[in-house]
Amino acid sequence: MTAKAIPLPQSQVEEEEDPRQHLLFDPRPREELNSMVLEAMHSTPISFWIAVIILTLLVIICLFGAWGYMAVVGMGTAGIRRPTFWGMFIANFVFWIGISHSGTFVSAILRVFKAEFRRPFTRAAELMTAFGLAAGAMYPLIHLGRVWVSYWIFPYPNNRWLWPNFHSPLVWDMVAITTYLLGSTMYLYLPLIPDLAMARDRSKGWRYSLYRIMSLGWRGTEEEWVRLRTAIRIFAFAIIPVMFSVHTIVSWDFAVTMAPGWHSTIFGPFFIAGAIYSGVAAVIMIMFLIRSTMLNMKYFMREEHFDALGKLVLVFSFTWTYFYFSEYMLGWYGGDAADKALWQAITHGPFAWLWYLMLICNILIPWLTLWNKKIRRTPWVMFIICLLINVGMYTERYLIVPSMIARNRFPFDWDSYLPRIELVISLGSLSLFMLLYLLASRLIPLIPVWEVQEGQFAHTLRKVGKTHVPSVSETE
Amino acid sequence: MREGNNVHLALFKDVDPASEALDKLREFGIAEDDMTIISGVPFSEKVLGRPILTTNIPKFSIAGFMLGLLAALAINGIAVLQYPIRVGGMANFALPSFFIVAFEMSMLGCLIFTFLAVIWECAFPSYGPKMYRPEISDGRVAIVFNCPPEIHTQVHDALATLGAEWVHRTEATKI
Amino acid sequence: MNETPKWGMVIDLDRCNGCTVCVTACSLENNVPYVGEGDAGYGRSMQWIRVERYWEGEYPNVVARFRPIMCQQCGAAPCEPVCPVFATAHSEAEQVNLQVYNRCIGTRFCANNCPYIARTFNWFDYSPGMPLPLNSQFNPDVTVRFRGVMEKCTFCIQRIRRVEEEAKAEGREMLDGDVQPACAQSCPSDAIVFGLLSDPNSQVSHLTRNARAQALLLEELGTQPRVIYLASERGSKR
Repeated sequence: MTAKAIPLPQSQVEEEEDPRQHLLFDPRPREELNSMVLEAMHSTPISFWIAVIILTLLVIICLFGAWGYMAVVGMGTAGIRRPTFWGMFIANFVFWIGISHSGTFVSAILRVFKAEFRRPFTRAAELMTAFGLAAGAMYPLIHLGRVWVSYWIFPYPNNRWLWPNFHSPLVWDMVAITTYLLGSTMYLYLPLIPDLAMARDRSKGWRYSLYRIMSLGWRGTEEEWVRLRTAIRIFAFAIIPVMFSVHTIVSWDFAVTMAPGWHSTIFGPFFIAGAIYSGVAAVIMIMFLIRSTMLNMKYFMREEHFDALGKLVLVFSFTWTYFYFSEYMLGWYGGDAADKALWQAITHGPFAWLWYLMLICNILIPWLTLWNKKIRRTPWVMFIICLLINVGMYTERYLIVPSMIARNRFPFDWDSYLPRIELVISLGSLSLFMLLYLLASRLIPLIPVWEVQEGQFAHTLRKVGKTHVPSVSETE
Repeated sequence: MREGNNVHLALFKDVDPASEALDKLREFGIAEDDMTIISGVPFSEKVLGRPILTTNIPKFSIAGFMLGLLAALAINGIAVLQYPIRVGGMANFALPSFFIVAFEMSMLGCLIFTFLAVIWECAFPSYGPKMYRPEISDGRVAIVFNCPPEIHTQVHDALATLGAEWVHRTEATKI
Repeated sequence: MNETPKWGMVIDLDRCNGCTVCVTACSLENNVPYVGEGDAGYGRSMQWIRVERYWEGEYPNVVARFRPIMCQQCGAAPCEPVCPVFATAHSEAEQVNLQVYNRCIGTRFCANNCPYIARTFNWFDYSPGMPLPLNSQFNPDVTVRFRGVMEKCTFCIQRIRRVEEEAKAEGREMLDGDVQPACAQSCPSDAIVFGLLSDPNSQVSHLTRNARAQALLLEELGTQPRVIYLASERGSKR
């Protein structure tokens, strides 16, 4: 069943309204889709290899090298001190867990709400989740003073009869992030199986062996599809509460303490809103990079996707602003002396430029630009806007983690925070994320072709009155 | 599908002729159990005109959820009360923190068991020879059916008339 | 002694003159490392007790107020539930807050949750890196800590234990004044008094029945600290 492309009368065609510009109304034969995706996957120009080599060196030196140095010499090589016992490492941790909410949002929430525009980039977003979690989950280990005994946080029988402390939010973190990591990986893998089978059918050599093993012998019989779709549907519904709970638990690392500024009941929803905000912005960034650096991707990821995600980013910008304003308002208006001193320090202290940077990046720029359709449909502009949004969101985490604990209840013990080796290790973990993503983009098909084709089957143009309207059918 | 000695595979370009072909095969007396559809995109049973398939995966999910809950009770309930250490004036077994751990572990159990249920029900991984053609992942819809040898020429002709690109008796091949 | 002994401390802010002998004595008794000028300037000094100084008044009537503050050994300690490995737990026997050095994995969560900022962290291998024979200064009763572990005032629990054991060996009860943590022992103006709050006849119990205004630090947080501060007669509650 192919969509019949009915020529529209010229007088009724507007440039932006032509539905054939949309991916799901522009079907191509499946062979062509397959070969486009596989061609992109196989192409490894010299720039790719240069990037891989540079990133690998950065990972080895900046992540593992600097981390090893810090573990051997001591945490003093980082910039943390009394009273800011947590600094950039924990801010990075929250940031990466936030980025990892992007994939679940796109592939689970948008799937549940039947937002069809999600189809081409679910896998790209899910890869961001998996690798964002990989990068982020290293930080609870990196910031430990004695990382070599970190396994004591796991519940295992031992001769000292000691058990981890389940009252501690860090143990909840361990459980939650394990759940989310395993869940996301399985949720990435399940819809990948038919695409791996497609790649298997069209590969030779080591790729053929790899895809043959990874596709588990998938053929596409009715029974296999029914089971896969049931499982994907269950995953989509089940992983949404997991996603909400994971970032809530991460926020409770701060909210359950007595520290002024941290002890806020709104941290749960606030962090989730911030996570989805920065995550969706990161998806837009990744989409732009994929389109610019990989072959044929401009067919799959189009301006309409930037448009749709851009609207979501704007909505989440409103949500985040609402929560953050509550935080500020309540501290400024009715907070005790410590709260007031804290907000005074953040907004007028020596690091007030971070506060203004955050407001500009998170509020001013999105609110001034994202209402405009032309801007939303220009990928490189969206990339810059979303990069600034992520800078702003990182600044927000930085302001929460070390800056708030710098102002406690005893003015004699106030101090501030300046990062040292944290900068190097942060660069290393960012390089790890990019390296894993680069390698994955050449090892697995980045576009879920079967989902795109499924969507194209369901979208037709229907004649209603004098015009043809796009119509989506429920073929499930 | 019960695979016998006379297994044939017919390739169609699209799902419309394929579902018509299923009716044709039923006219020839081939039972529902003797045919199956293989495709690169999922089609619902209603689209294909096939009996509704059931799966036990939701039961596995619920079982996984329960097991996760039991595991949480074990490590956060029983173990904590066996070797109690007093912290912060809180009770040893604190319900609020138990809810958090129980929720996460139950969801993990549910997700893991859903995943394993798919693998189990589809009998994955299976790398032996199977009825398959690589064109299927290029968008073709294949019908694999058992056909008694006496009518197979008529069946092949009928299917070719309906638009089959390729109809042959096939052996299972390595995929 | 009618119940489990509850050790406590009374600090008389009127007598404290900010000499910081308590800081020195504590550091020597408990093997608290000296971190060097650079790290001390960066806020990494590891003293378990600190003397906070607040200025009051306008020039020329400026007055300095001193407040020695250490781990308050809270009854409902906020640092305890947040440690993921139970490295800080509540002692049922002495009613103080324990820090278990060889269990600590260095998450520093306890330090963030302590409202008194009483905890310090071993940022480097200060003590193991000390050149010989400076290690002779270490008190053999107290562990020398490795890098990556938290530490804090323990009410000189090694002295409490020693007196308890001696008393048991001699078959007698502990007398008030037998146990003197290093800070109380060294204070030249007797500003720090230590003893059993659970013994109504001890000197600390007498002082808490004193008519002078007294306060628990950050009492409204509900941490139930074991250190009682007697207000300075000159009117400041600090």
